[in-house]
Amino acid sequence: MKKEIGTFALLVILCIVVSVLNPRFLAGANLQNMARLIGAYGIFSIGLGIVIITGGIDLSVGSVLALLGVLLSIFLTSWGWPAPAAVIVIIGLGMALGTIHGVLITRLGLQPFIVTLCGLLFYRGLARFIAKDETKGFGSAAGFEKLRDLATGSLLGIPTPLIVLALVSIAMWIALHRSVYGRYLFAVGRNEEAARYSGINSRAVITAAYVISGALAAFAGIIFAFYTNSVSPSSHGNFFELYGIAAAVLGGCSLRGGEGSIIGILIGTALLQVLQNLVNLLGVPSSLNFAVMGAVILLGVVGDQILQRRSARRHLAAPKTTSAPKQVSETRSG
Amino acid sequence: MRFSRPAILGICALLGIFILACSESGQSANKLKLAFVTNTAADFWTIARKGCEQAASELPNVDVEFQIPSDSTAAEQRRIVDDLMAKGIQGIAISPVDPVNQTEMLNDLSKKILVITQDSDAPQSNRACYLGTDNVAAGRQAGGLIREVLPQGGKIMVFVGKADARNAQERFQGIKEALQGSRVEIIDLRTDDTDRVRAKANVSDTLVKYPDIACLAGLWSYNGPAILSALKDAGKAGQVKVVCFDEEDETLAGVKEGTIYATVVQQPYEFGYQSVHLLTKALTGDRSVIPASKQQIVPTLIINKENVQEFSAKINKLRGRKE
Repeated sequence: MKKEIGTFALLVILCIVVSVLNPRFLAGANLQNMARLIGAYGIFSIGLGIVIITGGIDLSVGSVLALLGVLLSIFLTSWGWPAPAAVIVIIGLGMALGTIHGVLITRLGLQPFIVTLCGLLFYRGLARFIAKDETKGFGSAAGFEKLRDLATGSLLGIPTPLIVLALVSIAMWIALHRSVYGRYLFAVGRNEEAARYSGINSRAVITAAYVISGALAAFAGIIFAFYTNSVSPSSHGNFFELYGIAAAVLGGCSLRGGEGSIIGILIGTALLQVLQNLVNLLGVPSSLNFAVMGAVILLGVVGDQILQRRSARRHLAAPKTTSAPKQVSETRSG
Repeated sequence: MRFSRPAILGICALLGIFILACSESGQSANKLKLAFVTNTAADFWTIARKGCEQAASELPNVDVEFQIPSDSTAAEQRRIVDDLMAKGIQGIAISPVDPVNQTEMLNDLSKKILVITQDSDAPQSNRACYLGTDNVAAGRQAGGLIREVLPQGGKIMVFVGKADARNAQERFQGIKEALQGSRVEIIDLRTDDTDRVRAKANVSDTLVKYPDIACLAGLWSYNGPAILSALKDAGKAGQVKVVCFDEEDETLAGVKEGTIYATVVQQPYEFGYQSVHLLTKALTGDRSVIPASKQQIVPTLIINKENVQEFSAKINKLRGRKE
């Protein structure tokens, strides 16, 4: 929990600063816009976070978004499939891709970085080939208006992507923090060998993480496709995996695996979106967009690190606590 | 002698490639070989390709190779050009990704074969001529449309993918020129790095920050649909005027329903068609087809409610799909 507090504080401070500088930050329309994007980005970021907790990485998310977006458009507009069938097939495909990644990583012992990097290239190319390098759109969504409303609309003023994110978060929170699977996941992430020797089927646990990531990428893919209402196969979702990875790491996931929480990932996602939003609301030149993002994130991480060191030192300095000697030996050995 | 299985497979594959290559070069031994190189993968180029194909079918002795870089970088274009040279092309129409830094490559190329630039120019290079849009003029057209739709003046915001791209600068320049002396105020130019999600979020944020915004202008093809989609989400479609460029489906649908005032379109079909004809004539001896100004401008058209039906029927036919 400690790790998230720093990022959360940064998020709160940022929100206060922006809303003082431009009160429209808190206007209903702006909050809705942001909630919609946080929802869409958050869904696949959680998937990425779970993969990162196993000590892996998924670089293919952006390309998966493009591939599934293109296919969704073809299913619905060219082939005229009923919306539920299209959604089920898309999510099934997302899970299938995740399964392939998981199997390649666990059965063949390939590096997750390489497997998903190949995925990044392969799916992007496939998306462009299938779409014949044309932008695929949904037009006026004739025949699947309900699906579009579900993906882009609001319920009682709350954008549906945020509601989906909330449901996903609850489910994933239970899976990660309150279930045996979650325990295994953290154990595998910390030390896969040790986990395997203690009887955990680490292959299944890791593969499941990639399947979850694939399924969540598919959910997000549907939402993004309807958000833009058209999918250009060469640029749709470019670099989105990095937003996901950034959100997960900001939220306390360690790239070495074994650490992280759902709440942290949510805070990380929100922080990234607020940063994008403030560039526009404060009239910062768009060219500085990434610079602002990089600078604020770095500031937050540096601050977090300094605070943690200081508290660690305070622990060490405390003379009478019984745990002090133990910690000293720990730091020496580490 | 025994071969291992992979070795046999490899030899077969090589043989296959060899036979294929031979049959291809055999077919086109005495044909004029031309190439058309785009800058990226986009619908725009699908239409240009139709123009190339049409021209090639009209000219009996011409082969046109249409090349799309898999990523829009100068390095990728260099690789494509090198491959094309190895294949022995005689004329090329290329849309340079990075004109300033590709000038040298174009100069090298010009020493060996006939080079024209299309769509995007490299004016410092020795290319024979440029064939394409005059983006400043296109910007002026858009500026004129903005004046037309805002007779009382008002605030406008302009959106584009990358502000440092030449066509973005020229279009923006043209808009500014056309708006001089009017009561229209340009607030800013917002960029999105060709990320459509970002493009739409930029518009949504603009609507929040400037509730009194009167008109939104999108300089790149996907900006039109992004603006429209954000306006619809905010319930402001029709209230805030939209002027944009190019002919994405949603843009044309917006013009039809009146939520987009007008769009300025280029004629990529003509890029392809005219490039092939120009290269062929120049290579078969008639250098007079290359204009003295070294520029062959293909005019941009204004598509509004009156002519949108006719235009989209034409475009759909070019893209090979039904209405």
